Amino acid sequence: MIQIDDLWKSFGDHEVLKGVTAHIDKGTTFVVLGGSGSGKTVLMKHVIGLLKPDRGTVRVNGIEIDKLEGRELTEARRMFGMVFQGAALFDSMNVFDNVAFPLRERKRGMPADEVRARVIDKLKVVDLGEDVLTKFPAELSGGMRKRVSLARALVSEPQVVLYDEPTTGLDPITTDYVDDMIVSAKERLGVTSMVISHDIASAFKVADRLAVLYDGRIAAQGTPDEVRASTHPFVQRFLSLWFKKQ
Amino acid sequence: MGRLRAALEDFGRMLLFAVETVAWLFRPPFRPELVLAQMAAIGVGSTFIVATTGTFAGMVLALQFQYAMGQLGADGYVGGSVAVALSRELAPVFTALMIIGRSGSAISTELGTMRVTEQIDAMETMAVSPIQYLVAPRLVASLMMFPVLTMLFNVLGFGGAYLMGIYVSAIPPGPFIAHTRELVVPGDILHGLAKSLVFGAAVAVITCWRGFSASGGAKGVGDGTTRAVVMSSISVLVMDYAFTLVSVGGGR
Repeated sequence: MIQIDDLWKSFGDHEVLKGVTAHIDKGTTFVVLGGSGSGKTVLMKHVIGLLKPDRGTVRVNGIEIDKLEGRELTEARRMFGMVFQGAALFDSMNVFDNVAFPLRERKRGMPADEVRARVIDKLKVVDLGEDVLTKFPAELSGGMRKRVSLARALVSEPQVVLYDEPTTGLDPITTDYVDDMIVSAKERLGVTSMVISHDIASAFKVADRLAVLYDGRIAAQGTPDEVRASTHPFVQRFLSLWFKKQ
Repeated sequence: MGRLRAALEDFGRMLLFAVETVAWLFRPPFRPELVLAQMAAIGVGSTFIVATTGTFAGMVLALQFQYAMGQLGADGYVGGSVAVALSRELAPVFTALMIIGRSGSAISTELGTMRVTEQIDAMETMAVSPIQYLVAPRLVASLMMFPVLTMLFNVLGFGGAYLMGIYVSAIPPGPFIAHTRELVVPGDILHGLAKSLVFGAAVAVITCWRGFSASGGAKGVGDGTTRAVVMSSISVLVMDYAFTLVSVGGGR
């Protein structure tokens, strides 16, 4: 479904990605773990074509995303939904307009009744009722904003959902809730998910496959058990801090 | 040298941004509702400040012209002189500066905040061009509202001058109006309106670009807004000079 091959990216003299390769199967959840500044967000932005690589390719459903420009890229992005770290809800719009935005813009001409029905349906998926429809992002808690963001990402029924640090800044209960939502979105809607995170507990809970990014390279990749058994020094140190706490 | 190069690169990127915006104007989907919303924000929202500035500018000009021309016994020409000054220079320039202060800064801040909070990235990931959705309506609205507000400035400025001239400086209304008709030709008003169109386009592109290129959180947004206001204001004054030089060189 998603094939990232030998991806390199620099900003000025700073090399952020140094030959990243990863393959994500359809209908699975792939988590990229890594510390701050390891290049996780940069990697994800390449998948959806927000950044162009210096070298290497990104294929989604066989389409070379990195080669697309303008209208073709816009068309290709219809395959995606994305949940941003800070939710990235449009603060000038209420919850209904935020969630309806992709439908109104991507599927122009859809009857208003159907738009409303789909918005309410997707808000139900993330356990939100109609009482939030008229609220603005500034009136919502961090966890609710993340849930609305996920509803917005799912409303146009994308094939791939990208999650940028979905649990950062959330309390443990809300974190657990967001993890469940990611699993639920995969199971109920069959979407392929790519999650970038530094939250090890969440990563091991939602991942079918994991990769640990360190210094712009993949230090370990595989099933959660395979990654846990990795002998790479950074991976061992990164994971041991959390497993010790358990 | 490095700073000059960076400034030139930034200018080049802004020109590409402007070209891309113009290209998006002609591609569907068209969103007239967004243009109307921006016309309300830029136009209706700036009406009070432009009206106030126009009225007082006209009043002050009338007093100053009367002070100078009265010494030559040419009081009757005050209205015409004010009208020419307003329509050719002051109305388009003052209007543009007022809109920059009120709406230009708001545009830059809003888009800058959307940039640093990833709302613009989010829009792109939803297969919607942020340039088409956010910038194109602001450009169209500016092109429409700058001339309208300039005309408002002209009318209220002349009204202010009339009040001062007739009721304060005691100039007889007959010569005041007659010499105004004599001195002002339609070309003067069109000259000012043409300027306002160019200013509208430049202000929209500059303020949107500074918002789009903001980075680094609240400070980045603040810096972007400051640069937007400074750059737009200077551009308006430089373009006004160039416009006037060309038109005066070719005769009125």
